[in-house]
Amino acid sequence: MIDPRIQGLARVICEYSLDLKPDQLVLIEGPALAEPLMLEMVKAALSLGAIPRVRPSTAGAQAAFLERADDDQLAFLAPTMLAEMAAIDARIAIHAAWNTRELSSVDPSKIAATQSARRPVLDLYMRRSAEGTLRWCVTAFPCDAFAQDADMSLDAYEDFVYRAGWLHLADPVAAWREFAGKLQQVVEKLSGFREMRVVSEHTDITLGVAGRRWIPCHGDRNFPDGEVFTAPIETETRGDVRFSYPAIFGGREVDDVRLRFEGGRVVKSEAAAGGDLLREMLAMDEGASILGEFAIGANYAVDRYSKQILFDEKIGGTCHMAVGAGYPESGSTNTSALHWDMVCDLRSGGEIHADGELIYRDGRFLPEFAPDLAPPAV
Amino acid sequence: MADPRLQSLAAIICGYSLDVQRGDLVKVSGPATSHEFIAAVIGEITRLGGNPLLRAGLPRIEAALLQGSDAQLTTVTEIDRIDSESPDKTLTIWADTNTRYMSGVAPERQAMWSRSRRSLTDRFFERLAAGEIGWCGVTLPTQAHAQDAGMSLAEYEDFVFGAGHVSDPDPIAFWREQSARQATAIERLARVSELRIVAEDTDLTLDVGGRTWLNADGRENFPDGEVFTSPVHEATRGHISFSFDATYQGHEFAGVRLWFEQGRVVRHEASRGAEFLGGMLDMDEGARLLGEVAFGMNDEIQRGTRNVAFDEKIGGTCHVALGAAFPEAGGTNRSSLHWDIVCDLRHGGEVYGDGELIAKDGRFL
Repeated sequence: MIDPRIQGLARVICEYSLDLKPDQLVLIEGPALAEPLMLEMVKAALSLGAIPRVRPSTAGAQAAFLERADDDQLAFLAPTMLAEMAAIDARIAIHAAWNTRELSSVDPSKIAATQSARRPVLDLYMRRSAEGTLRWCVTAFPCDAFAQDADMSLDAYEDFVYRAGWLHLADPVAAWREFAGKLQQVVEKLSGFREMRVVSEHTDITLGVAGRRWIPCHGDRNFPDGEVFTAPIETETRGDVRFSYPAIFGGREVDDVRLRFEGGRVVKSEAAAGGDLLREMLAMDEGASILGEFAIGANYAVDRYSKQILFDEKIGGTCHMAVGAGYPESGSTNTSALHWDMVCDLRSGGEIHADGELIYRDGRFLPEFAPDLAPPAV
Repeated sequence: MADPRLQSLAAIICGYSLDVQRGDLVKVSGPATSHEFIAAVIGEITRLGGNPLLRAGLPRIEAALLQGSDAQLTTVTEIDRIDSESPDKTLTIWADTNTRYMSGVAPERQAMWSRSRRSLTDRFFERLAAGEIGWCGVTLPTQAHAQDAGMSLAEYEDFVFGAGHVSDPDPIAFWREQSARQATAIERLARVSELRIVAEDTDLTLDVGGRTWLNADGRENFPDGEVFTSPVHEATRGHISFSFDATYQGHEFAGVRLWFEQGRVVRHEASRGAEFLGGMLDMDEGARLLGEVAFGMNDEIQRGTRNVAFDEKIGGTCHVALGAAFPEAGGTNRSSLHWDIVCDLRHGGEVYGDGELIAKDGRFL
């Protein structure tokens, strides 16, 4: 008997997130262990008249390549990848793993090299996304490896994941539509400010946002979702930020990341552990030490750090910043093969000031500034 | 811990069968459940300088995709085209977890799906025949295949890996020697115009004059071991009987005997599956004519396993196939059928080339 929440997740993504139309080509990618979800997505896509294709990955294959690949092989971009990215109408990426440390013995510079090689694909992805010709959604399938990282049993983790998508509600799509309306009010209020200043313990950082767009994220591109984000002006970020949770890249953790910015660029980076990886990533290319994204997490059903950025960056009461590529539709001009999100908890004393005005405190927008964003109770 | 024979098999497939070269784009397709072998193959391709492209499959989803509308079923997407046309070399892994996984899909829908992809498959086989691309199909032992063969998994693993000489100290050296042995048989067969096969309840004469004998030495199929050609399809006469129980498209056959005149089956018998046999023979014009004659030369395969991919390679057997011929062998018979009939020569069987005895008891002299 299939967990009805898997069918629910598949339907919400195909009908609400991607709004699939007849004859659209949708590519579904993810580890083969997500087969139950992939199968329900294929059925949901077919029922909407779309043409689904699935691209499962298998355990150990990526590591087997990375461990043996030389520079030429790491830099090789299969001709299929760009052609495919140009051809599809929609893409679903399912995050799941057999072992989140599968790549821990692989030299991080090799992972960075494959990301650099895929840069034209990422650029095309971003461009088509900005033009509105490609819809995409990133989601997660609950699995033991993720549950283990979150210090949870699989049963408890499944509850966490599906509650985060509000799939326990009778009509999740209606709840997400109502939430979308509230987020729209938030971004309208945020638009027009010139500077955002985030103040928290060991954090006092100022970002220029004049002329940049705030984008509401209400379950269309990420699922679960819940954030508003914009693109900091590439040359204006200044000050210090200390991220509350370990930053994770390719299964490796960097603990207690502290960054100092001057003139938009990271000028000093420190970490309690994993500093080498942090420095290597920030040096990947020109854009890797510049912020591409500043965002405020607004899903109050996600209330704990679980070592999956898809969930962590949505935690209601946090903000996050990504070094590297920004989204053109938010006005970013920063390009990089890197996009690395790091999360800062604002729930205990954190503040956000917009052009000097306090708009957010202790993990909530002030009531006079924006509506309450908590999801409906069951 | 993965079976070390999988690693050895991966080295044979990549180093010998596909002969992966630096810069080759190598597609690996097969069920996701064969992930240990897939990882071993990806590692080998990479070690040899190739660029692996993984296209794993999920059988339940393949079946679900055939449940869509006719339009959804028959649409050949840009992804399908790119995946078919881009690779320099392709590995197909046969490793079912349930050999009846398509049984819930009506055969007409499977046929519709196949027809819609004809342009891609035709192009693929043209390029393969022209030597522009490489391909290998490899069978892995699985519980489902073992079940069909009537064996335990451990027994079936020994059977499959044994058939490929995977545990030999130097398997690739073995396959090169096997290739040379088969080439010797081909040298002899190439001089033959009229081929006569005599065995228990079998006396069949075929014309192979001017046809090309091909050496199946582990490059396009693995395990392998046969030499084959396509006979002049109008000339076959005499009769042949099956030595092994066979299955074709899920149907079982036993005691099959066929009589030929002027190339055509004029009489048929079967103790099991007679009705389906008649339907197959009437499938189309070419179905009563022979498209292939071949000699199995893999001495590690000694028993029938209800899988023709193995049965036809049993050392000391011959097989003929009703239906489609191989253009690269000079064959011209066309049919949607290609059904191999295996005849055991190991116990008194004789093969004559233009009247001269060239093989006895399944061995070339």
